Amino acid sequence: MTSRYEIGFIITPEVNEEEVKKIIESITATIKKANGVIENLDEWGRKKMAFPIKKNLEGYYVFIQAEVDGTIIATIERRLKQMEKVLRFITLRLDDKLKKSNKLTKKWAKIDKLRKKTMASSSEEKESEDFLENEEETDATEK
Amino acid sequence: MQPRSNTGDGKPPKKYYSARKKYCAFCKDKITLIDYKNHKNLENFISETGRIFPGRVSGTCAYHQKQLSKAIKRARQMALLRFTEEKKRIT
Repeated sequence: MTSRYEIGFIITPEVNEEEVKKIIESITATIKKANGVIENLDEWGRKKMAFPIKKNLEGYYVFIQAEVDGTIIATIERRLKQMEKVLRFITLRLDDKLKKSNKLTKKWAKIDKLRKKTMASSSEEKESEDFLENEEETDATEK
Repeated sequence: MQPRSNTGDGKPPKKYYSARKKYCAFCKDKITLIDYKNHKNLENFISETGRIFPGRVSGTCAYHQKQLSKAIKRARQMALLRFTEEKKRIT
């Protein structure tokens, strides 16, 4: 079973560009070996962290979204743990809550449709009425 | 419900104003899944000292508050948000 995963990690700021490439390639290679598909590779670059980690004030942020087999994630985690130049890492499954979110989007779309219908029908009625009367009504409700 | 201040001292009863209704910021923007990476948005939901606001204060609905608290904790793990307030150095 393949599913969408996100892997994020922070590399120490002292690292060269070549070393950063090496670390990223080692992870992407393992994903590609297991017939995984890399959807997105986000390199934020050097960024100030909210608090120092191992006395480093800055960190090199990299985020990878990929569709892989679940067992590969464990090997990637093990590999990241062994790397001394990686300060922190995080791995997530992204399609955990897709069902509920899809339900919500459908629900909101329905509500929007209804609202548009009511707005369209009410606006036609309002055009015939005087606007001053409407304003007075709204004021009364606010008070 | 009768106003409490009307206790018979001749003064008119106090006017009770209902607080402005709170709404879920994520439902308004129609965000279903909260991402921990946009920490600038998440910063609106933590206090100065770094604590997560409860749903009754920020107005977020239960569905989003669950996700929000998890997203903030993930952002903290990746050093995008603070755990506590920054240390102030005595000069």
